[in-house]
Amino acid sequence: MKKHNGKWVFGVVLLGILFMVPRTLGVFNADILVGFGINVLFAVSLNMLLTAGLFSFGHALFYGCGAYATALGLFYIKGLPLLLALLLGGFASGLLGLILSPFLVRIGGIYFTLLTIAFNELMYGIVLKFREITGGESGFSSYSVPPLSIPGMGSFDMGDKASFYYFAIVIIVISIWLMWFLTKTPFGTVLLGIRNDPERVAYLGFWVPGTKTVIIALSGFFAGIAGSLLALWINVVSPESCLHLINVSIKTFLAILVGGLGTFIGPFIGIGIVHLFNEIILNYGGIAELFIWWIIILYLLFAARYTPWGIMGVTAKIVNRWKQTRKTEPDNRELTD
Amino acid sequence: MSPLVALYITQGLNGLGYGMLLFLVSSGLTLIYGMMGFLNLSHAFFFMLGAYFCATFLGITGSFWISLLLAPLAVALVGMLAERFFLRNLEHNELGYIGQVLPTLGIALIILTSISLFWSRSLWIETPRLLQGVVSIGGLSYPIYRIFIIGLSLVVLIFLAMIIYLTRLGLILRGAVSDSDMVNALGVNIPLIFTLVFGISTWLAGVAGVALTPIFFVNAGFAYQWALETFVVVIVGGLGSLPGAFVVALLFGELHSYGVQFMPKLAPILMFLIMVLVLSFKPTGLFGKRG
Repeated sequence: MKKHNGKWVFGVVLLGILFMVPRTLGVFNADILVGFGINVLFAVSLNMLLTAGLFSFGHALFYGCGAYATALGLFYIKGLPLLLALLLGGFASGLLGLILSPFLVRIGGIYFTLLTIAFNELMYGIVLKFREITGGESGFSSYSVPPLSIPGMGSFDMGDKASFYYFAIVIIVISIWLMWFLTKTPFGTVLLGIRNDPERVAYLGFWVPGTKTVIIALSGFFAGIAGSLLALWINVVSPESCLHLINVSIKTFLAILVGGLGTFIGPFIGIGIVHLFNEIILNYGGIAELFIWWIIILYLLFAARYTPWGIMGVTAKIVNRWKQTRKTEPDNRELTD
Repeated sequence: MSPLVALYITQGLNGLGYGMLLFLVSSGLTLIYGMMGFLNLSHAFFFMLGAYFCATFLGITGSFWISLLLAPLAVALVGMLAERFFLRNLEHNELGYIGQVLPTLGIALIILTSISLFWSRSLWIETPRLLQGVVSIGGLSYPIYRIFIIGLSLVVLIFLAMIIYLTRLGLILRGAVSDSDMVNALGVNIPLIFTLVFGISTWLAGVAGVALTPIFFVNAGFAYQWALETFVVVIVGGLGSLPGAFVVALLFGELHSYGVQFMPKLAPILMFLIMVLVLSFKPTGLFGKRG
């Protein structure tokens, strides 16, 4: 019971801190936090797939789909409310996940990874080539972000950074909470089972391809929400910023790997490190970039051998060892007595 | 011959040249991926390293032919060292195939950073004098250098086929693909064999890199694009299937050539469309047997 209360206290304190950020740390830092939150939301949605053992190297597919759906929706549908535009991005990506899953659920292992790469590149190529609709390489920016109107509270201009901060943070927190909640349901347990032993899960009577379809669609939905927020945040969508295979898909995958694959905290740590590196490169320039580059290289070369489960894995190991030594100490004392 | 037919034939010949080039780059990858089951993401970067080594050796010796001999050997040496130090004993790591992919990505980044440290970023060398100019066949002109590339690719194909199907090494390789432990138990030093295969594979990448330098500008984005294309070729062709890689490379060459002419919008994505279809309906590839 005490533990349960602790969780609620933690949640309320976190929400309080998030609420105070624009007032105490300034609007500029709040804006940085929005970018971080969008990346974390995307990473957590990808982590949902990874938890089920579906190693996707092309998750930017859904991110970009959401971003473009929102941007194009706002451009073509006059008077589209903000929340509907956001949901349009999410549902477009979820639908894309449903459409692609018949291809994706049939194959496993490395072929799944390769197929996600192919879909990512396909989407990238389509967006790049159909420039009349998507704007091609230079991106699409001829849409305006509508104000958020809440009945009884008035309307908030999303051009105002502080207003957008509150809007984005609420969406991000709700989405991440929903995904966290999902891992606690029996469905979440089935996902873990699929990662560890799909055959056994099938023998237990679960329909594995169906479960995979649901998780791909759900993960796509939340990635779409993240992409949609990105489109609303920077008011321009380009294939480079939201569809790139290396800069978006694989980078996020590696970030999660650094944090800890399949853990819920992993994506937060990983994306935090990515942002930290970006800040360092921004402030210290060339030498720092080279230095960080070599850290990344060393990590890639030796990760599989020494730290396969990232920072969370190392932490768990240390905590376990500490617990063991604490447990064995009284035993030793009894023996010596 | 009407100009239209001539245009079509020229496009076909260009596609043949491009396809052969694609095969030259993919051949090493199909060897490593098929025989070792190793998804080597750094292959196209070794290929780029070949191009830069070629420029260096050309600067030292002044002869394209000596560079063609030395640069691939240097690339193979780097490749074997990389395999020895970073890619050993990864079969049973906890991350599965992802754990095998990561170090190859690391090697790719090492090559990329080394190139930006030691060489200028973009590179182009002159076609050797012997191979300059064009030949005219029945009123159609075709660059001699493209014919040289087609010939080189055929030599590589025959060389590889001979290694795999005629030599003792090929026998061991084919055995190691189906049951590595059994071959090991028979007294064959499997790790040594794999280092050798990695060497041959990167040597092929080096050859392709040297052959490509006179007709393309080489830079970092270039390796990225070729990495994707060669992967598509190897996957569509089938795991470790040399004939598969050859046929699919030629097919993609023609597809690229005619696609640009008839469907300029769809040409770049056609490859990935085919890859999606093949992976969806026959994940082992068109000519692959092993699952």
